[in-house]
Amino acid sequence: MISSFIQRFVRRLRDGKTVFTIGGYVLSVLYGLTVLIPVYFVLVSSFKPNMEIFGAPLALPSHITFENYADAVRIAKLPRAMGISLGVTAGAEILTLVLAFPVAYAIARIRTRLAPIVEGFFSLGFLIPAFATLVPIYLMTAAIGLLYNPVALILIYPAFKLPVTVLLLASYMRSVPRELEESAEIDGATRLQMIYHIFFPLARPGVVTVVVLNFIDIWNEFLFALVLMNMKNRTLQIAVSSLKGERLLDYGLMAAGIIITLLPVYIVFLIFQEQVVRGLYAGAVKS
Amino acid sequence: MSLRVFRDLFGGAKSANYHRRKRARDRRTFLALSAPGLIWYMLLMVWPLVYMFYISLLRWDGMLKPKTFIGLANFTRMFADPHFEHAVVNTGIHLLIGIPAVMPVAFILGFFLSRRPAGYRLLRVVFFIPAMASVAALALMFVGIYLPDGILNTILRGMGLDELTRAWLANTKTALPAIIAIDVWSGIGFYGVLFFAALSNVSDELYEAAMLDGAGLWTSMWRIAFPLSLDFFGLFTMLHFLWILLGAAQNVLLLTKGGPGDHTLTLGYYLYDQAFLSRRLGYSQALGVFVFVIGVLGMLIIRRLTTRKYE
Repeated sequence: MISSFIQRFVRRLRDGKTVFTIGGYVLSVLYGLTVLIPVYFVLVSSFKPNMEIFGAPLALPSHITFENYADAVRIAKLPRAMGISLGVTAGAEILTLVLAFPVAYAIARIRTRLAPIVEGFFSLGFLIPAFATLVPIYLMTAAIGLLYNPVALILIYPAFKLPVTVLLLASYMRSVPRELEESAEIDGATRLQMIYHIFFPLARPGVVTVVVLNFIDIWNEFLFALVLMNMKNRTLQIAVSSLKGERLLDYGLMAAGIIITLLPVYIVFLIFQEQVVRGLYAGAVKS
Repeated sequence: MSLRVFRDLFGGAKSANYHRRKRARDRRTFLALSAPGLIWYMLLMVWPLVYMFYISLLRWDGMLKPKTFIGLANFTRMFADPHFEHAVVNTGIHLLIGIPAVMPVAFILGFFLSRRPAGYRLLRVVFFIPAMASVAALALMFVGIYLPDGILNTILRGMGLDELTRAWLANTKTALPAIIAIDVWSGIGFYGVLFFAALSNVSDELYEAAMLDGAGLWTSMWRIAFPLSLDFFGLFTMLHFLWILLGAAQNVLLLTKGGPGDHTLTLGYYLYDQAFLSRRLGYSQALGVFVFVIGVLGMLIIRRLTTRKYE
């Protein structure tokens, strides 16, 4: 029995499968450690008094303290920032859907020569990094008097998210079978009735995917929130980054801030893992 | 919105020549449905790009200051600016190290995961941790890694490599590599999982057939999986290229502000600095035009290199 095991092992070694698997695990574990060690470090630091953090950075806290969290919330005025982030994210998500859903529907369902042209036009959006539009958008925002007003972010973020949202929704809608709509059309339903009663429920899984993807990006957005908002109306990302003092460094405080910003995103990611991975992949491929 | 579009959307009497008019009407409905999205997209994505080209021709020292048309003077000044030269060199180094350090490793990890080894779901979650974190959270995290007493130095000391410890972000030799490492680190996991998604549709039979012919997994990875995913490879490289060119400036902004000296000054950060700290709006947009041209050229090159050649 042992000899047959060895024989099998030698055969697997020869076809390279075992070596490849071992190599793959080694690489994965090494990379995994470079991810998990810093995350672990931030997590334990957030529960440690500052004196303890850099004495033994990787040790567990001698006793768990929530002082860093309380301080972070107080110093960076996180409740207000959190409220603004929630409002901006919700507003921008809704506006993105309101703008993208009709376009996606039109591309997927109305047969006209314009459809591929519009679709191609949106797919070019992947080639425009949002960063390139930073200064013009800053000037435009100031010109219409919305500088430092969170409404500006609600209006701007959907433009960045439109290309990927339109293309993903359109490709999803194409996979929805036409039969139901056809029978509704025979029954005399108008197009809006059809969209609302039949199409929207059928397209819901696609909508969930884009909402989750857009949530991660909008919640995490830093640059435009930094430039367009002021101290009073800053979003969570800006408030937390302000915990990095220019001279004094309180790492426990920063660690608590990091955990507070990450938590909502990781909860959403863990629930919608499949949608996030497939959606990001499909979004990239559509362009 | 014309009456006919209104009728199509909300219903109403069908005219006698219903079918003959259907095509023209479909087109109008199409335009009515896509107009809001199209206008939004043009106004906030396309127009700002056009506007950027216009601003680059101005001398404009702050929003409330007067604008003067100065033609291409910003560009002649740019090519004589030593900071610009440093930014070009640093961005070049970032691209030349950042892209080759990420894409092959990400591809190998993605291929490995796509064979669904035990625990691949867990690995996928771990690999995605950096990609889900905001730039602000990652930057603060790396502060704790790179500090003189941070975990990088602690680990080096633990391994008895005391002479390697340093203040990573303040050291002129290590500041730029430290910034580059952040994107390498997060990019490997992110594109690894995307390659996994791209390759998990490839059927096992394809690899098994190759194995019967005596090819090992390593060979079938390069002979089968790689050519199959060359398009994705090009696409992900473009996304990473754009990120390094511009997005990565956020790490510089949060961690080093271009310092020490100009050692971490990149094109993206210099653009930000000129627009919002030095208040030279015209000049910053000349930099923007330069970055835009580099971006387009870079993407054409990547596309050329990763397009399959049929012999």
